[in-house]
Amino acid sequence: MVLIVGGAFQGKKAYAKEKFALKEEDFAEGASCGFEEIFSAGAVADFHEYIRRCLEAGREVQDLAGELAGRNPEAVVIANELGCGVVPVDEFDREYRETVGRICCALAKEAREVHRVVCGIGMVIKHG
Amino acid sequence: MFALIVGGSGSGKSEYGENLAVSWAKREGLPLYYIATMEPWGEEGQRRILRHRKLREGKGFTTMECYRGLKDLKLPKRGVVLLECLSNLAANEMFGKGGAGQRTALEVVQGVRALREQCRHLAVVSNDIFCDGGAYDETTKQYQRCLGEINAELSGEAHQVTEIVCGIALHQKEIGNEPVVEQL
Repeated sequence: MVLIVGGAFQGKKAYAKEKFALKEEDFAEGASCGFEEIFSAGAVADFHEYIRRCLEAGREVQDLAGELAGRNPEAVVIANELGCGVVPVDEFDREYRETVGRICCALAKEAREVHRVVCGIGMVIKHG
Repeated sequence: MFALIVGGSGSGKSEYGENLAVSWAKREGLPLYYIATMEPWGEEGQRRILRHRKLREGKGFTTMECYRGLKDLKLPKRGVVLLECLSNLAANEMFGKGGAGQRTALEVVQGVRALREQCRHLAVVSNDIFCDGGAYDETTKQYQRCLGEINAELSGEAHQVTEIVCGIALHQKEIGNEPVVEQL
């Protein structure tokens, strides 16, 4: 598995496409795909949005990282880094933000490589 | 050794700080102190504190609580200290009763300096609360500015400044070195 993280609008998806020869149709879109799709797609975009929808639907996410790495070990997964703001006032937002952080830590542990994209430029922060 | 560790929410910065402090203490056979700064407000706060306690369990930390007035804290012995975290300490000083208010940045920096003088090695965990681009009210902006000043000031004094991203340590400052990425 490859994890790509970075702030919003940093060109993460374009970077992933170029780096890993992915096409638009290879992606499961975290904001709209079926809950099962991420386990078979070649790549997952906006994985943080997928996590948000899981929390909203009351789905169990405790072992989401392990399940994804286990069932789709070759996937390229893209997620926003979103923990670097002031603690949100809303309780759900706080839970969401922290959950995304924890799941990304777990994914990074499972991943062969972790890339961080800033201004479209990728830096490999965990090497295969 | 003085290390400053920064990262966002859920980035794994606490775990990194704990492991760093534990490794120092083990290497030199020193006592290990954890300075907790989070006031246990409400059920969610309690839950957070519990989670951190569980993470620290069995690692050999003696926990001390300090919500404000860090410069008056006296350590029992000269050892290794993990201070977590500056965002709570700054918020307590700035907004809490009996806190430093407008003088928060200076108070926190002086507190950390006083701590350094009493210990062999110090690891300080702070927060990155600067990168979401949210439009905050004036009070919150003041708090951000204050923590930003504290981080920058301490970063200048630290031997090691490490940013944690998804549990991965990115060393922004090591003695005499350019920023490097830790090889895993």
